[in-house]
Amino acid sequence: MTILGEFALWMALPISFWGMTMGFVGGRYGRGDLVLSAERSVYVVFGLLLIASLGVIQAFLADQFQYWYVANYSNRELDTYFKIAGLWAGQRGSLLFWAVILAFFSSIAVFQNRRRNREFMPYVVGVLQGILAFFVVVLLFAKVNPFERLGFTPPDGAGLNPQLQNYWMTIHPPTLYFGFTAFSIPFAFAIAALLTGRLDSRWIVVTRRWTLVSWFFLTNGIIFGMRWAYEELGWGGYWFWDPVENASLLPWLSSTAFLHSVMIQENRGMLKIWNMSLVLLTFLLTIFATFLTRSGLIESVHSFAQNTEIAMIFLAFMGSVLAGSVVLILYRLPALRSENQIESFLSREAAFLLNNLVLLGAAFAVLWGTIYPLVSEAITGQAVAVGPPFFNRVNIPIGLVLLALTGIGPVIAWRKASARNLKKNFLLPLLVGAGVVVIFLGLGARDGYALATFGLSAFVLTVIVVEFWKGTRARARIEGEGAFAALLHLVGRNRRRWGGYIVHAGVVMIFTAFAGSAFDREIRKVLNPGESVSVASPFGHTYSLVYEGISSSREPNFDRWVALLSVEKDGKPQGALTTERRFYRVNRQMITEVGIRSTPLEDLYVILADVEDFEGMVTNNPDAQRIVVQVMVNPLVAWIWYGGLIITVGSLIALWPGPEAGPRSRTARQGAAETETDLVEASA
Amino acid sequence: MELIAAVLLVIVTAVFLLQPILAGKAAPLVSPQAEPTEAQFRKRVALQQLRDVEYEYAMGKLGDADYRSLKSRLSAEALAAIRAEKEEEGGIHGDAAAVAEASEAELEREIALLRARISGGPFCSDCGRPNPAGARFCAHCGASLGAPAVSDSSE
Repeated sequence: MTILGEFALWMALPISFWGMTMGFVGGRYGRGDLVLSAERSVYVVFGLLLIASLGVIQAFLADQFQYWYVANYSNRELDTYFKIAGLWAGQRGSLLFWAVILAFFSSIAVFQNRRRNREFMPYVVGVLQGILAFFVVVLLFAKVNPFERLGFTPPDGAGLNPQLQNYWMTIHPPTLYFGFTAFSIPFAFAIAALLTGRLDSRWIVVTRRWTLVSWFFLTNGIIFGMRWAYEELGWGGYWFWDPVENASLLPWLSSTAFLHSVMIQENRGMLKIWNMSLVLLTFLLTIFATFLTRSGLIESVHSFAQNTEIAMIFLAFMGSVLAGSVVLILYRLPALRSENQIESFLSREAAFLLNNLVLLGAAFAVLWGTIYPLVSEAITGQAVAVGPPFFNRVNIPIGLVLLALTGIGPVIAWRKASARNLKKNFLLPLLVGAGVVVIFLGLGARDGYALATFGLSAFVLTVIVVEFWKGTRARARIEGEGAFAALLHLVGRNRRRWGGYIVHAGVVMIFTAFAGSAFDREIRKVLNPGESVSVASPFGHTYSLVYEGISSSREPNFDRWVALLSVEKDGKPQGALTTERRFYRVNRQMITEVGIRSTPLEDLYVILADVEDFEGMVTNNPDAQRIVVQVMVNPLVAWIWYGGLIITVGSLIALWPGPEAGPRSRTARQGAAETETDLVEASA
Repeated sequence: MELIAAVLLVIVTAVFLLQPILAGKAAPLVSPQAEPTEAQFRKRVALQQLRDVEYEYAMGKLGDADYRSLKSRLSAEALAAIRAEKEEEGGIHGDAAAVAEASEAELEREIALLRARISGGPFCSDCGRPNPAGARFCAHCGASLGAPAVSDSSE
């Protein structure tokens, strides 16, 4: 199977070039037979890359350490679960994984459009196969072939990085990769639209749906990554402005911008060049993210390889994509002119435009901070990293502006808002927001940013709740429906809008959780059995933890030391909490597994910072029980995960296929059904 | 074993990819299903916006003055789009005045339809035209509308 996998990878090279060539040639000369062959080649490349991926997994499962990749990312005792995840644990496998998911999405896109958007498809296939060909070339010729042999077979592998031996690791990278790769489809359609000159609304309709798919996976991938960092890195936080975290945030920012500005193009026929550029930019950023993650160019908790060939190939690819797309946009400039102009700065268009500028501003700041070490190294010869303080200083104010716009956008009128409109819709939310600020001030909160976040969050949530309430009420009144039915029908009728509002509510929760970190409490203490440590939470509770003892055990892949603490909250027993350290023998690495007791208001987060005498522990020496614990109380962290769930629900509502997906029923009610379908389609 | 699989893989791929060219089997280069034209798309967007305005007015988000001014602008846009659509359909030979008249009639129909959709009135199963909420017989052709309306806008 592994040999066959290697063979399939080589075979994917000519086939993807075939598909790329046939797509472009067939499109240019109107040859349907060549186009059909090109479309079929997409399915073939997917099959081949799937075989190659299975080959890699098989090599992991069978402990075939003669392969460099397996020898460096696995060992005999590794869990089967993590051996399968070995496919995306390192640079080589994850590049293959990236390619196979892209081929998967490409196959879906080709299949979906067998009878639709035919004018675009030759070029869409050409572009997608071009991207696939690039990845296959990288895999085969940039010294990152997962099937490379060592020339000898070591008795055991070097093991998987212990921090990756966590179940979030098995779902966080694939989710992100789904998000990155899915964005190739909007890019391919954008290029096809530029090449064919069909720059009307057609490509936008296809593109925004795929963008939402990509955005959905990106968002979840980023949140899963935060969860992984929170549980596994053991420093009490979830976001460190690490280059790779930043790299995943960049396309998220620009695709979020696109999802908003595309609405202006649909409704007002404006911003066509801008939207085209955002698609291009987002695609480049997904490639950049993959590149940054897997080139090891910038030091990060994620990157494991230093390889200049791959850096050069990636840069060349990004450079040519950029140059080609810019030329195409310039060539089509006359067709991309706006049909309308912004009429007033007090309008939804203006709010959306501002949202775009702010999102891109954030993206630029993050990008600059991320590549700054490289820039400074090139200029001064010394790599200077900018840390979290820089990112926080820049991005917190930007985030607050965005939060405010989240509340303003939905209720300000298109075109030109009148003073009455503003007063009517903003008075209540503003009062609620101000009220929340006053309450928190009264409770003694003094952190300006946190206060602003709480106030703005309350403002936005009020706007959203009022929208739902007014909409439901109007519908219930007009239709004579019950409140629940009215709400369901309201959402069903314009899924994209109401799904979007739900997403906003999730985003607000996450922002609130971020603000909670301003009130973190932390204490570090040396403990002997029977001794206790107390920490006061910002919500006024007092946790006291009594150290009961420590035990050690030998697991297949690691040794572990587990400290047991009993927890009391305001004097009431809350059960026990364990926190541990693990020593992965093959990797010779010590890591912590934190103990977390999570409630909606705050998390109790206990790190086993040190064990006095590891060896003594093993020999059961009664005097060797002393440990160092770090106890943290992190308020509101759980709301990040709740917010993530709400975002998932909202984006699924927005994504849910409308009636246009099914065959239209040709009944006597056809006229009605079609108008409704059309309207929903136009809004979906 | 793996050699056989590899050879098979090559043969199957080659047949699959070359068959369209050798047998002259072609993928369509224009969509067989009618796709909405740009004018139709613009019309839909304008009508969708009109519906939103009606809704927002009903929700109490828009004042009377805002409602009227937005509505007249959007109606003008929808009218322009409908006119463009008519011209697309009938070619440019049609009499301009006739096109304008037909477009206005259509916009009126569409708005009536929108209103009916918002108020949830039934559609006639014979002539397909909208009726006011609660109607039992079609106001246009007199056919029975069956049980009073249950809106199907849940999609």
